[in-house]
Order: sequence, then structure tokens, then C-alpha cells
Amino acid sequence: MAEPDEDDDHIYVNEETELGTQRVRVAHAPARRIVPPLNFCPVERYLYRSGQPSPVNFPFLLDLRLKTIIWLANEEPQDTLLEFCDAHSIQLQFATINPDGGEDDNPWDGLTEHSIIAALQTIVNADNYPLLVCCGMGRHRTGTVIGCLRRIMGWNLASVSEEYRRFTGSRGGRILVELLIEAFDTRLVAIDQERAPRWLART
Amino acid sequence: MSDEVNVGDKLRALALRGPENLVQLLKQQDEELESKLGQDSGILDLHRAINEDPELKQRVSMILDKFYNMAERNEEDVDDIYDAEEHRGKSAARLRDVNVTEEVVPPENFSHIVGEIYRSSFPRPENFSFLQHSLRLKSIMVLIPEEYPSENTDFMAQAGIELFQIGMSGNKEPFVNIPWDLLTRALEVAINPANHPILIHCNRGKHRTGCLVGCIRRLQNWSLTMIFDEYRRFAFPKARALDQQFIEMYDEDKIKQIAEDKDWLPIRW
Repeated sequence: MAEPDEDDDHIYVNEETELGTQRVRVAHAPARRIVPPLNFCPVERYLYRSGQPSPVNFPFLLDLRLKTIIWLANEEPQDTLLEFCDAHSIQLQFATINPDGGEDDNPWDGLTEHSIIAALQTIVNADNYPLLVCCGMGRHRTGTVIGCLRRIMGWNLASVSEEYRRFTGSRGGRILVELLIEAFDTRLVAIDQERAPRWLART
Repeated sequence: MSDEVNVGDKLRALALRGPENLVQLLKQQDEELESKLGQDSGILDLHRAINEDPELKQRVSMILDKFYNMAERNEEDVDDIYDAEEHRGKSAARLRDVNVTEEVVPPENFSHIVGEIYRSSFPRPENFSFLQHSLRLKSIMVLIPEEYPSENTDFMAQAGIELFQIGMSGNKEPFVNIPWDLLTRALEVAINPANHPILIHCNRGKHRTGCLVGCIRRLQNWSLTMIFDEYRRFAFPKARALDQQFIEMYDEDKIKQIAEDKDWLPIRW
């Protein structure tokens, strides 16, 4: 085959196919590219964590058949996420970081004990599954909640910390978050054995 | 073609003159490859030239052994080497006080991958209870070529966990690559629901396991960017460009065929 002439104006036009006289067959259909959200990872069966999902992630989220998304911030997520949850009947739960309204809240504030317990109360109930826990980047707030969940599961602190730091990126973990996880009183989360996911059920 | 011969000749000449020259040339080729990654660069010819000449191959590997052993069998490589002595020492210490704690102790670098497929570093006796009671494993797949330690096999026999061993030696620079068919075999074990729940591990759970997980993600049609991001998260701080290249270049046709025939796709969450 001759090299295509670069000066040819019509190099990208195949007149035969454009006119529909000839069909082109390709051996492989182009694969659908699946894009999970930033910092996405399964935590337990049907429980997932990630950063804030954007429209490019929605096809992936549909594969997960989510029933609930816990959004760990006072401020609203992007409208697209709200619409997505609406359209697919996904329950979107906000973390109420500061129960008194939170006028002085900053997006970079850590979670309060109150908000951690609220999130965990949803997580220990398998009726809400499949469930995604997320925050802006899926690093510190999500890490706090998952860390406290691991404490409830009885994980040793070194493993909890290792998991937290895996998702914190180049700037590393925050000592305050780890102190919060370490000091978290696991008895504050009431676990209904009837509704608990299998991996939480006491044997 | 003529290029190839030239590289071979050049190498042979250099090898005769002394190891320093050869190592220097390899290093230079390496840097060139890095600077024009993605193009057909010299190192590929080098690779072929060395592999096609048994005598040269032996000589090169001898020289490399010498250099990498003494000078810089660098830290990265240490992770790839499963040290039975070290493992036994730590395990023995652990077995003595295994009842001290009731904490749940997952292995290092543990995580869920998809469904009931898990990944981790080499499990030690303190992790056995987690594997048996929390994960309720049916199988373990190990990706190291060395013999599996007896305390692990004893535990698995007692817990009724099946062992799959597919030994591979990692994408180590400069001339070691995981063969594709080995990876295909590993994938065949990993995504077969009959083996689930299954734990996949190598030594640190970074490189070989990372490659396998990357290929599982390819079967899930993940975008390469997110696959690499996940790979780096688990390999941190020792991510390897070669592993990521491997994940990208792995030919998935065969495993896709097998998986589709057996109705294993899509892999269930």
C-alpha cells in the first residue's frame, strides 16, 4: 500500500463508506472504558469508598447497583451527583458535621464524633447496601469513617493506619485523623445483629 | 535487522572488555528507553540480541549478578525475594505468643479487589485467624516461585483452604519479565468463582500482585489511568514503570476467551 499523501484534502474521507455503499467491519468493537471514581476501593462486600464521583464515573457506579451514598460534607456535592442519585433512586445521606447548623464550617475541617457515628450507624445496617462512602478526595473524611469502622471490626491499629495512609496521597496522613480513630469509642455505635452485614455479625 | 546484529556485536565486544563497560551501556540504553518511552527504542533490540545468543545471555547474567549482588541489589529487589529464613524466624516468634491478643490482624497491604477476591502481602501466623474466620477463604494463590512455608500449609490443611502456586519472578529491570501465559493461568484461577473467596499474594503484595490486579481491572474494562493509579497506591513508594507497561501491554484475548466461554464475565461485585 502506498503511503497516504499528506497534501490530499480528502485523506480522512472514504467516499465509498461515506456514501453507504460499503460497510466496514472491525474485528473488535471498541471496549467500553470504565472509569471508577478517584481513590475508589471496595472496603467490604457491597461497601465501597471513593472521592466525589463525577459524571464520567456514573456508568461505573451503575454497575455497583448502589442503594445508598454517604457524602461526608456539609456543603452539597455537585449538582450532577444529586441528579444522578435522584434518577436512580439512590439515597444520598449527608454527614451533619456540626449539629448546630455549622455556620463556621470549613471544607477542610475534620469530622466530628457526631458525624462519624451518624455515618457508621448507616454503614452497620445491611439494609442500606450496596453502599458508597465518599468525600471530596476520598482521603481524610472517608478515611476517618472507614478507620473507625475497622476499629469496630476489631482490627489492630497498625493495619487501620496503613489502610488510611494508602489513600492519603503524597502529603501523607494527618495525625489528628489517626488520633481520632484511635480514641474513637466503638461502643457508641449500636449494632443491630439482625441487620448487621455478615462480616460484622458476632459469632 | 542489521541494527540487531550491531547491538549484539557491540555487546559481545563490551562484555569481553570488562563488566563496567557493559553495565554502562545497559544503563545508557535504559535512560534512552525512558526518554523515548512508547517508541521502538534500542533496549528492545538489546533484549532480543541478548536472548537469542545463549552464550552472551549467560555472560551478561553473570556480570549482572555480580554487580547487582554486591553493589546495588537495590531495596526494590529485596522486596521481591522471599526469604524463608526471615519468614520462619518471625513466624516462630509469633507462634509463641499467638494467644496474647484478640485483635483482628489482616496481612499488610490487604484489600478487597472485587467480589470475594482479595489481595495482600505474605500472610504470617498472626493473620491466619483473619483469613480463616473473617474472610472464610476457600483458596489462596501465591505468586512466588519459592516453596511455601510449612506453617502456612499446615494452617491451610487445617482450615481446608486450597493452595494455588503460580511462581513468577516479577518485572525486574533489566531483563526479567513475567511471561504472559503465566499471568493468564493466574487470572484463570483468580476469576473462577469456584475458587472464591480467594486471597492473592506475593511477598509484599506490591508488584506481582499489582500486575495481576491490574489485569483483572483490564478484564473489567477500567481505564488505564485508574488502573495505574490503583497500582501505585499499593506499590507505594516503589511503583515500577515496567509493571505498568506490563499491565498495558498484556494480551487479554486468551483469558477473555476462556472467561467468556465459562461465563465468568462480568466479574461480580
